[in-house]
Amino acid sequence: MNELTEAMQNINWALVAPIIVLQFILMVVALVDCLKQNQTNGPKWIWIIVILFINLIGPILYFIFGRRSN
Amino acid sequence: MMRQWMVLFKKEWTESLRNFKWLWLPIVFIVLGVMQPITSYYFADIIENFGGLPEGAVMDIPLPTGAEVLAGTLGQFSQIGFLVLVLAFMGTVATEKTSGTHIMVLVKPVSYSSYLTAKWVHILMLTLGSYVIGFSAAVYYTFLLIDQVPMSHVLSGALVYAVWISFVMTLVLCLSALFNSSALVAFGSLGTALLLSILSMYVPELMMWSPGMLSSHSYSLFFVGEADEGFWLSMGATVALMVVMMVSTILLFNKKELAKDSGA
Amino acid sequence: MSLIETSSLGKRFNDTEAVKQLNLSVREGACTALLGPNGAGKTTTLNMLTGLMKPTEGTIQFDAAYEGDRRNYLGYLPQYPKFFGWMSGEEYLIFAAELAGLPKKQAKISASEMLELIGLQDDGKKRISGYSGGMKQRLGIAQALVHSPKLIILDEPVSALDPIGRREVLELMKRLKTHTSILFSTHVLHDAEEVSDDIFIMNKGTVVIEGSLRELQQTHQKPAFFLETEKSPEEWLHTLKEQDWVVDWELDHHRLMITVDNMEKARANLLKDEHLHELKLVKFEVAKTSLEDLFMKVIS
Ligand SMILES: Nc1ncnc2c1ncn2[C@@H]1O[C@H](COP(=O)(O)OP(=O)(O)O)[C@@H](O)[C@H]1O
Ligand SMILES: [Mg+2]
Repeated sequence: MNELTEAMQNINWALVAPIIVLQFILMVVALVDCLKQNQTNGPKWIWIIVILFINLIGPILYFIFGRRSN
Repeated sequence: MMRQWMVLFKKEWTESLRNFKWLWLPIVFIVLGVMQPITSYYFADIIENFGGLPEGAVMDIPLPTGAEVLAGTLGQFSQIGFLVLVLAFMGTVATEKTSGTHIMVLVKPVSYSSYLTAKWVHILMLTLGSYVIGFSAAVYYTFLLIDQVPMSHVLSGALVYAVWISFVMTLVLCLSALFNSSALVAFGSLGTALLLSILSMYVPELMMWSPGMLSSHSYSLFFVGEADEGFWLSMGATVALMVVMMVSTILLFNKKELAKDSGA
Repeated sequence: MSLIETSSLGKRFNDTEAVKQLNLSVREGACTALLGPNGAGKTTTLNMLTGLMKPTEGTIQFDAAYEGDRRNYLGYLPQYPKFFGWMSGEEYLIFAAELAGLPKKQAKISASEMLELIGLQDDGKKRISGYSGGMKQRLGIAQALVHSPKLIILDEPVSALDPIGRREVLELMKRLKTHTSILFSTHVLHDAEEVSDDIFIMNKGTVVIEGSLRELQQTHQKPAFFLETEKSPEEWLHTLKEQDWVVDWELDHHRLMITVDNMEKARANLLKDEHLHELKLVKFEVAKTSLEDLFMKVIS
């Protein structure tokens, strides 16, 4: 058990950090874009919740379905 | 002619920068690529530590090999990866047609083949670019956590899989040019990709030529550095099919009435 | 020599004949109106001229002096122009100019000239998705003009606009017609009368009347007088009807419109009419009947 926590503390962060950073970038970009749009497909507040609370998939769903092209 | 092609290509490029496709598609592929090595690694680790195996049972859960992890990564790309790519590009031509933005482009002295091939090249660059980035991340994590695989195996396998991606994306573009409904484009291209893969799995003898064989060829390249029997056949057929699809789509697009509805 | 000419042009959609036996010719340097009610086949005709639709019958001939793809010499504004909303107005104009074959540098110069022409120089850097209808329409005209085409084709350029936008676009067209040939469609006679030199009136897919605006006015317009009185002119009208120079009249309470055949004779007679003076004239105006009557007659 101790070994495991140790192992996790040692490597885990170095490995997982890039993913967390990427997810964070994605979330921020999606959020800023969503707030800047004057209209989204469907209510904007729902998209904000989706972006904030569904990891990774949320921002992607927003980019695919929430964004108006014109 | 060439200049107009570049103008159209630049427009596609700027558009995908502005709608952040150049950001989020690579990120999706990086995350997908990294997931497989990490879960494989910790899966073994966790079982070992929390296994709750009976006293005296022999612990023998081998770490998967590097080749297995890389093949697993491509498996992820074939499912979630394709789904995302198809959804991202299903509207490439279809939404321009339904919104009518293509009219003022095609009324200029622009050839329809420039219009379509500029989109095609752009899609391939964006999808293959994301794939390369994501797969590089997968290789890096695999080497770090699991095990090395000879670089020549990795590169040749990755290249073969890139052809399979190109085939699917060509299909997406062609369907998008021929139909107005994005949903139809998505179902059509995902359905075709799935069908080809399944048939290749269950009746490989009949499907030697099939583009759907390419992913299993790339797995073999990872494992043993050599593709299965019939590799060149399916490679040749895939490239030929892509050319045929593009040429016939351009011809059909030429024939189609562009200004479909005069109404709003 | 006309810039573009069609002979027996026809377009059939399944079982509707949208355009049939259409002979149209557009003079270089003129502003030509294609006038007709909704469904007359105007949009279909223009789509064939631009090459967006293929005719099922007949031919289209562009001035032989300009060789090659005629799209090189055309600018087109669709009835419902749709832009890439993520581009700025300036970017769209540069894009359009480069597609039409202008080198990058020239495209930029031309784009900024166009922005000035349509009065959007301050909004050129804004995204098109934020533009108003009138701004989009003006941008649409600019993208049609940006490569200095020989002929610009505008499909109902003012129909979708509010009165202010309408005025802006009509004024713009008046300025343009001094250096470009224009072919535009409209269902409003007044717009055609205001800017065009030549008029083709279309109904049910074919041209029913054609000619220069002046010709049409000369043959179909009659001089008229518009009177307004304090007392009702109804009784006086009975005696007036008997006069041989009166062609037609229309009474609306205290307002009277009299169409006559000879302006001078009518004026002299009216002014010396004692009874008219007794009605206490408020207004006495020399006017003309419009082409409205003719238009209504040919399209019904
Ligand atoms: N794509 C089409 N398919 C079938 N019918 C059409 C199509 N476009 C136009 N029409 C028909 O052709 C006729 C002429 O239409 P249109 O050219 O749009 O008229 P206008 O522009 O003068 O209002 C109408 O009856 C219309 O319904
Ligand atoms: Mg119309």
